[in-house]
Amino acid sequence: MATVFMKWLETSPKDYERGIQMLTLGRLGTLRRDLLDAYIRPGCRVLEIGCGTGALTVMMAQRGAHVTAIDVAPAMLAEAEEKVVRRALQSQVDLKLMDASLIGERFPAGSFDLIVAVLVFSELAPDLQRHVLRACARLLAPGGYLLLGDEVVPGRARRRLAYYAVRLPLSLLTWLLTRTGTTPLRDIEAMLAETGYRARMQAAYLGGSLVLYEARLPGVAGAEVSSDAIRAAAQQAWPAPFVPPPGVVGRLRRRTTLRTLLVDLWALFLRIIPPYPKVRPGLYAVGRPHARSPVLVTGNFDLTVRRLVAAIDGRVDAWLLVADSAGINVWCAAGGGYFTAEKVIAALKSSRMDELVDHHALILPQLCANGVDGWKVRQETGWGVHWGPVRAVDVPAYLQAGRKKTDAMRWVRFPLRDRLEMVTVTLGFYGLLILLPVLLFWRHLFWPLSASLIGLSYFYAVVLPWLPGRDGLMKSVPLTLIALAGLLLYTSLWNPLPVERLFNWTLALTGLSVFAGAELQGMSPLMRGEQANWGWEAVIGVVLGLIYWSAPLAMGWS
Amino acid sequence: MNRETTFWASLPEHWRIARTLRRLQIYFYPLKCKGVWECYEACPVGCWMPDRAGHKAIFREGERCIACGACVLQCPEDAIELR
Repeated sequence: MATVFMKWLETSPKDYERGIQMLTLGRLGTLRRDLLDAYIRPGCRVLEIGCGTGALTVMMAQRGAHVTAIDVAPAMLAEAEEKVVRRALQSQVDLKLMDASLIGERFPAGSFDLIVAVLVFSELAPDLQRHVLRACARLLAPGGYLLLGDEVVPGRARRRLAYYAVRLPLSLLTWLLTRTGTTPLRDIEAMLAETGYRARMQAAYLGGSLVLYEARLPGVAGAEVSSDAIRAAAQQAWPAPFVPPPGVVGRLRRRTTLRTLLVDLWALFLRIIPPYPKVRPGLYAVGRPHARSPVLVTGNFDLTVRRLVAAIDGRVDAWLLVADSAGINVWCAAGGGYFTAEKVIAALKSSRMDELVDHHALILPQLCANGVDGWKVRQETGWGVHWGPVRAVDVPAYLQAGRKKTDAMRWVRFPLRDRLEMVTVTLGFYGLLILLPVLLFWRHLFWPLSASLIGLSYFYAVVLPWLPGRDGLMKSVPLTLIALAGLLLYTSLWNPLPVERLFNWTLALTGLSVFAGAELQGMSPLMRGEQANWGWEAVIGVVLGLIYWSAPLAMGWS
Repeated sequence: MNRETTFWASLPEHWRIARTLRRLQIYFYPLKCKGVWECYEACPVGCWMPDRAGHKAIFREGERCIACGACVLQCPEDAIELR
């Protein structure tokens, strides 16, 4: 069920194109046309980063440019490919599946006259933006231009107010219709200057909220921090207060604030529902790490990072490389394709890790091995990949033992505490899903049904290891029997129910037990995804429905 | 767009996912195994053990497998399949 919801959240390529046109009130088309008129000449070599569905790609190719277009989403690229083939532009367009972080090493220096990125930079983490800007500087031929078209928050107060007044309802509507959203770009002018570009705003649309920047490189290289300076900063014995060396986002400490409490509360009940609390991806310091300190990698779900930091702060000095996992925990993000080798590579390349430490060993969470291809990371970066322990609390012992795991560290367990936490998380979502319609349409059933669902779920969580059956569906059989035994006791000892109500409750409890047993399987790390039960759940649901409609007719009840 | 159509159209796909996920199991080709033991490092449910004498991995207790695919992805010799 949760997976169906996640599926709905995914954007299809067609929805995406429609969504961004909606968000920009159609002015994105104007921006594209202006860009074509001002910069595209026949024969010029263009690199388009994040081509999406290829709308701009084919326009540029039709004007005679040779376009190399990259994107990270295979579905988007397929759509672009179709556009290119339909217009017979194959000889002028080269589509590649590639992450923006890799362009610096995949193309020869000075190989493009123009690099175009429209609505791309706002999707990248700040460190990655900086990394890509540097790579672009290498790829641009002398006199070449970098063109950035993106959304920004207008600088002037009145315009900003107008922007938010239009933007908030518009983005909600767009998200509901197309599941497309964009984030406005921040501080891009400062970053362009920092990476050595001379930038100017070429055009502005929508009251200054959609802009096109033209950036070019002056003859002399910009003032970049040299790697020697970074290395020196990394190796000095840091005096208190801690000064993070260049390239490090900051220091993470174990602490509790009102914000962390609120996030914990949200995560306890509604963890499945986006927006997920996120940490800005990048390199962080825990304790006082130095050039030989271990490098731990993790995803950018707020809870993941905080639990890891809480487990190691004060025990180990380490570098913490937070990769972009779309704000999802590492196991689910890796399984769902949100946390991949590309994300780890991007985080590593954009962090200047090479200059901060003098070893090449990455420690990845073992629970991302289902999605992060370790060999790809090894080949692309030359770093060694070591699978750390399953649990964050084992990290200090693992490091102490010289990156050696015991079997207890590599096998997941599902103790009572975790079971109770996970059942609460799952109930937050299913409670809304099931009990909200009940509250609206069958109000008199709300309290008994809530009590049954919540009682059954927690009972299931507690007795899970002792229920016979290998998967959730099999375990739902004893759960159903126990629930029905409870109903029998209730009606015979306490409150005799009329036969019609007894019949209804039998069906309802059977349905709820099967649902709880089968769906809560997804919360257990020891069983397969709950999707495995969908087929049987549907069959049982239909059978229960048939009994519900036909039995009263057969028995002659009104 | 009509959400209804998409939902009904997605049902066969969900049915297929459910069937596949129920049935997926590990096929191990020990002859290809070079004893790298990445499977042992990656498996969270203890299905893989190193046979240190034979320099091979051992697949055991297949019913514990949760079909996460970690061992398949990490095996450099393509000695493991999940189907």
